[in-house]
Amino acid sequence: MLFGRKKKNPIIIKNKGAVEWKYTTCGYCSVGCSIEIGVNAEGKGVTTRGVGGADVNRGKLCIKGLTEAGVLDSIGRGTTPLIRDDIEGEYQKTDWDTALDKTASEFKRIQEKYGPDSIGIVSTGQLYTEEFYTVGKLVRGLIGTNNYDGNTTLCMASAASGYKRSFGSDGAPGCYDDFEHTECFMAFGSNLSEQHPIIYWRLQEAIEKRKKESKPKFPIIVVDPRKTMLGQLADYYLPLTPGTDLALLNSFAYVILDEGLEDAGYIEKYTNGIEDFRELVKDYAPELASVICGIAPETIREVARLYAKAPQAMSIWTMGINQSTHGSDGVAAINNLNLITGNIGKPGGTSLSITGQCNAMGTREWSSCSGLPGYRVLENSDHRKEVAKFWNVDENFFPEKLGLKQTDIFPAVETGKIKALWIIATNPMTSMANTARIRQNFKDVEFTVVQDCYEDCETAQYANVFLPAGSWGEKDGCMTNTERRVNVSNAVQDAPGIAKPDLWIFNELAKRWSNHTKMKWPETASEVFDEMAELSTIGKSVNGNERMLDISGMSHDIIRASRGIQWPYSKDDHKNQFNQAEAVEIHGERLASPTPEKIHKGNTRLYSDGLFEFPDGRAKILSLPFNDNNERPDAEFPFWLNSGRVVEHFHTRTKTGKVGNCNKFSPTPYMEMNPKAAAALGFKSMEYVRLESRRGDAIAMVQITSRLPENMVFIPFHFHNCINRLSLGLLDPHSRQPAFKQSAVRILKTDQAEAAKINLSNRNF
Amino acid sequence: MFEVRNDEPQYAKLNDTTSDKANRYGKAIELIPLEDTVSLKINGEDEIGCNPNRNKQHGFHFTADNCIGCHACEAACSEKNDLPAHLAFRSVGYVESGDFPDFQRMNISMACNHCDNPVCLKGCPTRAYTKHPEYGAVIQDPDICFGCGYCTWVCPYNAPQLDPVKGRVEKCNMCVDRLEVGLKPACVSACVGNALNFGVIENTPDNREQINTSIPGFPDPEITQPNIRFQMNKDMGQEVTRTDSMQIKYSKNDDGQYVPEVDEKDGLEKHWNLSRLSSSENPLVLFTLSVQASLGLFFITTIGSWLGLDAFIAAKQSAMYIPMTLLALALSAFGLLMSVTHLGKPFRFYRGFNNWRHSPVCREGLGISGFLAFGGLHLLSLLPSWSFMPDVINSALGITPAIAATIASAATPLAALAVVSGAIGLYYMYRCYRIPARPFWNHRSTGAHFVGNALILGGVLTTLGYSFAVEDSAAMISAGIAASLIGIVLEAVGLLNQGTELNTAKHEGAVSHYIQKTTFGKTYLLRNGLIAFNALVAATLVFASFPPILALVWLAIFITGVISTAVIGRALFYVLVIPTTMPGAFFWKNKGFIEHARDIGMDHMPNTGVVPARH
Repeated sequence: MLFGRKKKNPIIIKNKGAVEWKYTTCGYCSVGCSIEIGVNAEGKGVTTRGVGGADVNRGKLCIKGLTEAGVLDSIGRGTTPLIRDDIEGEYQKTDWDTALDKTASEFKRIQEKYGPDSIGIVSTGQLYTEEFYTVGKLVRGLIGTNNYDGNTTLCMASAASGYKRSFGSDGAPGCYDDFEHTECFMAFGSNLSEQHPIIYWRLQEAIEKRKKESKPKFPIIVVDPRKTMLGQLADYYLPLTPGTDLALLNSFAYVILDEGLEDAGYIEKYTNGIEDFRELVKDYAPELASVICGIAPETIREVARLYAKAPQAMSIWTMGINQSTHGSDGVAAINNLNLITGNIGKPGGTSLSITGQCNAMGTREWSSCSGLPGYRVLENSDHRKEVAKFWNVDENFFPEKLGLKQTDIFPAVETGKIKALWIIATNPMTSMANTARIRQNFKDVEFTVVQDCYEDCETAQYANVFLPAGSWGEKDGCMTNTERRVNVSNAVQDAPGIAKPDLWIFNELAKRWSNHTKMKWPETASEVFDEMAELSTIGKSVNGNERMLDISGMSHDIIRASRGIQWPYSKDDHKNQFNQAEAVEIHGERLASPTPEKIHKGNTRLYSDGLFEFPDGRAKILSLPFNDNNERPDAEFPFWLNSGRVVEHFHTRTKTGKVGNCNKFSPTPYMEMNPKAAAALGFKSMEYVRLESRRGDAIAMVQITSRLPENMVFIPFHFHNCINRLSLGLLDPHSRQPAFKQSAVRILKTDQAEAAKINLSNRNF
Repeated sequence: MFEVRNDEPQYAKLNDTTSDKANRYGKAIELIPLEDTVSLKINGEDEIGCNPNRNKQHGFHFTADNCIGCHACEAACSEKNDLPAHLAFRSVGYVESGDFPDFQRMNISMACNHCDNPVCLKGCPTRAYTKHPEYGAVIQDPDICFGCGYCTWVCPYNAPQLDPVKGRVEKCNMCVDRLEVGLKPACVSACVGNALNFGVIENTPDNREQINTSIPGFPDPEITQPNIRFQMNKDMGQEVTRTDSMQIKYSKNDDGQYVPEVDEKDGLEKHWNLSRLSSSENPLVLFTLSVQASLGLFFITTIGSWLGLDAFIAAKQSAMYIPMTLLALALSAFGLLMSVTHLGKPFRFYRGFNNWRHSPVCREGLGISGFLAFGGLHLLSLLPSWSFMPDVINSALGITPAIAATIASAATPLAALAVVSGAIGLYYMYRCYRIPARPFWNHRSTGAHFVGNALILGGVLTTLGYSFAVEDSAAMISAGIAASLIGIVLEAVGLLNQGTELNTAKHEGAVSHYIQKTTFGKTYLLRNGLIAFNALVAATLVFASFPPILALVWLAIFITGVISTAVIGRALFYVLVIPTTMPGAFFWKNKGFIEHARDIGMDHMPNTGVVPARH
């Protein structure tokens, strides 16, 4: 063997110089991975690693988590408040008092002139729960506009709405542990392997575990118009026609009820609505549904039988279901499937929405966007009373009905209802459908505040006041993940310049309203959390039981010691599950690792007792007729325009676009196209093309691949001035979530040099 | 020592309990007795790790069915080794097959395979590479490397990474710091699809059945005997395509193996693409051409005179012999200078002689340097007796005609030594390009191309230099151009031979030829036409007699012809080569995108992962 040098030199292995590791939770998606940030000798966060003893990720992280320290040293950060009278003018640097005074006085002036609801406030799923709770308190308790929502409407509104309609409450009934118990797994419109790689790994681990135990693999069914890596894992891959999932789901139910495969006992004992449902699904025989959804009748039957006969079967879904003109119905239909087969709240049997942003769940729970904190609603007078008393606010200050959702707030500018906008940690100039329309909305309001970590986020170009916020790793707070696990994130360094954590900004702004002195505004996230915990037990559920969203057993310290706890977690749960001595032992300086048995998991599943959040405690099997109201391809616009995410980017790239080791895997927008379609139009790989829809046009680079059908193209949604110049975004009547994934385009040849110039000019990062 | 956390997950820990004696190639897996292993001195630490298998060859295992292309391995590697965006020790590319919905994408994650036959180690002129008996890790020391990039040419897997910013190569270090404490490498521990694994070579990982040596898109393992094993149950069908710009697809042969063939992605239209002829290898175009011209010039006169050919004897005796020999030496010196400017770290050029035992690059350099040294001495030995030598200098140095004659007697042996050294240099220049991982070069026609050009350019220079210095100019022209003509014929035969083979070949060389006939189709035709034209002009010059003026005009035409041909031909030689490297992704490791990013100026955004080319 040839070894080279006899006298060998020392081996140099570089590293990022971390000298200390600090516990936190990932700030990207809703999987909720526990991360340790490596801090160097200068006190800067320089690298990350997965926490081995954390139940969610068990030491793993995806590309974004692994490179997340890159966002702590990012270009484009806001370092000081900025102000200008005219959005065409130049920003001037200013101090916090001036910026916050201006914001408050403008809000008050506009409310005085146009009414209290003339301010539109759009937040996000990116803040910490304590920040959501505080901004909710500020909006509902002091500012008093009812047009307050989060960008979660673009993402999870249909899931929340569907859960509420089926089970009486939001809150995912299942958890990741279900993979290890299921006998049949079905995924709808979920590119799990790219969107939620760590959940995919948990699925893969469940498959490996069965292989090791020499058990047969559980069947995997994937419903998706585009063959993703999850689609490739499937035993049954169902490439359905976009936007027709409800027809397919009703047809599954037809087969199950027609062949008597339902769980009659469960239906009888725990649900309402089966009679109407039986009537409705009679119209969805596989032979008829097949014409609509494009799946062969025999396949529909086989899959329905497989699912119904499995001792426990689970469904997951993501944006393929939610971002639809009938997203809420689609979610409810998945719930129907699981209710009629008795697959709710049991290990391996569940209806699990895989959520989007790191704290989408936290905003749903505590932000007051969908009413009042803790899954309370404005429409319920008991809830209004409870919160008014707890906050010390006049009960009549709360509206009795929920106001506009994000997707209605922007169009309300056109009717003159909205005159000012406060955009918090979201980037509608890139994320909203029909960019041209949103751009005009921003030009038409009298006053805009953008509060964000990044002053180069595209929305900031329309702000009168820019408030620079702290980012992940620069502030404290909790987030709730997809499986209801509350986990804590802590600052490892200060925000740049005089940027401040969002909690501080909300608290300071609140001081500009005189009534604030009557209310409590705790300064630290930990104290805010304790206030939320207290509020979480006040009152009763509509079914007469204790409130389901009970976090009274948690505190920041307890959560950290447990590496996250799944709610509900009451004081009693805490007494029963938590051993103080162990907690002290494991919650040391370095957070030595608890063994899994010692972790206090909270409650892994909801509705295991069959008691749902309706007055009679029964779940609703809803009868949901399918109406096809999408824009469909036609002679003029012959291609379906599908959209989605890539693993290396998050949302509008304000973070990942600046982390080279993420961005390099897709630094510029591209369009996947079937080779036959490309050949017919004479497009070559890597050629720029021009897409046109009834809304506008966009430039993208062609990637030729057979992972999608001939009449469809796919563009990742992350890029500014690309897909949302084309998208239509018709709204779901229940959730007001836009149908991003179903519209029609035509595709044309374009001048390559000009297109390259346009592409480059749109890529500031 | 690397920190092992007390909550370190089981999957991150090495778990080889047994191992085979020898691998499938008959090489011992236990590289040395455990007690003979030494400290790896990682970052200067003397400690020896606790790994009980540290004396055994380790390798990666890749379950191709499972890779989801999530980039976690790449990110974990970049994070651990603190790599900038444009550099990666591990990369994921992919291949695809089938029509929708019967479609499959297979992702391939690839780093260094720490081969039994480390061609990088052998090729490196600086001895920057070491294969350690500990783990069998092939580790490169960037502080020794001078950035010639030859290892990046010879490696079939694109493992060594030439950093255009720092001007040196870096590569995968097997995470030996983790291995020392019983942990699998960072990439393996990070794998989200459970595709990557690691352990003692030939061991089958838990829950896996296969330890195959290849998957579609993976180069022939016989080249280097890589320490990687595969599992793949997925059926990729008859034809497997790539999404990157490389015009290669893979088709299943009768043995079920996938072999590369041309994918006519860019059609059959012929283009000029003259500007694309200029590449970061431009200094090598100048280096090889000038050295070949230099050797040709010296060899033709010297060997010609030894063979008793009148024209060359006359040339050697002419007053022009000294300046022409000086020119030959100057051309070689210029060539070496060019090759040094091609280095990422030119001031480390002297390290190029470190690995004469194995590296053809090193031997090439030694040969050419020897030629310069002996040629220089040869020149010096003739100086005192040169007719243009001013007597004052000779007398100042105390050199009498007798002494001068004595000194001159050393000229012939020195010339012989220069010829031998030069021949060694030229031979290893050719050997440098016989790289199995670069099939377009790995052909005898490369030899014909190099020797041919030495004769062509040497012949032209001989003709130009001596025609006016000898009595029988016509004979000199005939003799000099005859040498060129032999060179032209040699090159033409080589090219014809290569072209015929490549038209039906099943490797990346065929793809180079496809690009030659399309992307550079018109340029290629021009070059071939020029060769024919040059041959014709040369033949007329050799065999017909001309009035002097016309001869001069013909000669001028001929010189223009051969120089253009040589430059175009050599530039094509460099830009056309396609390595056997792994498939890229659509952006990352896609040559087409890298070129595009550079064309439109995106290479100035570091987050794109493309940096400006090194020129």
